Amino acid sequence: MSNKKIAVRNLRLCTKDCLCLYVCPTGATDTENSIIDPEKCIGCGECALACPSAAISLVPADYPEQQPKTNIVISALNDQAQRKSSTEKAASQIAALMADCGLGYLLEAMARSERLVTEDIMREAGYMLPQSSNVRQLLEELVANPPTPSFPIETAKKLLKLLP
Amino acid sequence: MKYVCSICGYVHDEAEKGIPFQELPADWKCPWCGASKSDFAPQEEKEASAPIVTDASDLSETHELQKLSAGQLAALCSSLARGCEKQYKAEESRLFKELANYFTAITPAVEDATVMTIADALKEEIAFYPTLKATAEAAKDRGAQRVCVWGEKVTRMLYSLINQYLEKGDQMLEGKDVWLCTVCGFVYIGKDAPELCPVCKVPAWKFEKISGRN
Repeated sequence: MSNKKIAVRNLRLCTKDCLCLYVCPTGATDTENSIIDPEKCIGCGECALACPSAAISLVPADYPEQQPKTNIVISALNDQAQRKSSTEKAASQIAALMADCGLGYLLEAMARSERLVTEDIMREAGYMLPQSSNVRQLLEELVANPPTPSFPIETAKKLLKLLP
Repeated sequence: MKYVCSICGYVHDEAEKGIPFQELPADWKCPWCGASKSDFAPQEEKEASAPIVTDASDLSETHELQKLSAGQLAALCSSLARGCEKQYKAEESRLFKELANYFTAITPAVEDATVMTIADALKEEIAFYPTLKATAEAAKDRGAQRVCVWGEKVTRMLYSLINQYLEKGDQMLEGKDVWLCTVCGFVYIGKDAPELCPVCKVPAWKFEKISGRN
């Protein structure tokens, strides 16, 4: 893992003051789509320092592996994730049967809430970063042994190609 | 005496408010998060639950991990989609979303699911949090301890709301909207989203109105 950083712009904060264009030594900030060009960015941070809207920050070009996890913790996290995912399913399947009404909305909100919490749990259960070796292993396993015939195998293959 | 909301930490100070907690109406709600009276506990009383003993030495190699279910994989993939989005990887994010949708679609239906069974399921989730926390503490896993903090509060809120619904029915939702904090999952019933999420403190614009059109 290197210490290389690259600059990213938060478009919600960017007010087009354009000082980043002025200070950037490589022209990485000068793009039509407002995304700082990661190929040109050298991670010097001048744009982030110059931005009056604090819309630019430096992020690591690559991330470290997740802290090691013990299986007993992963297994407890997975247990809770399983409970939550079946509550999510129950709530969304009842909500789907109901026409537009308060209870339907409440159940839909609950299903989405359960998903958000489960996502957080799964991140801590060893799948924090898309570019981690755990994620790669999982995708490889899914490609080798698709869970059902309708599994979108090309999607998984494309991800394996795109992720470093 | 002070009473503290177990979800958002709001304190009802009897001396300051001039109303004993017990005398508040039965349908009184936490002014911050909308939790029920029963979600409050007296502040002085430290939770004296028996410590949960977890053997931290029983880990790694000996503890076999089970294959992940479709439901778990659905959340795993939608979480990775979110992660890619945050890293400005739009294509990867879209692909992980496709995988998440696939796993969501093949997650088996829950048999005989009703509002009542959802309440029971939430109760079980809440009951498991102490074990999860103790396991994470014993293994000194900071991240796993962290997910318990918001997760437990949000789960308690869902349980509180479903019980409010079981008690009051549609009356509970009349003239109000359902709001979801898209960051932590906190659910709020009201005319407007709260200014700050009572659980994770993000501003109102992070809330989404759930109105069946999404």
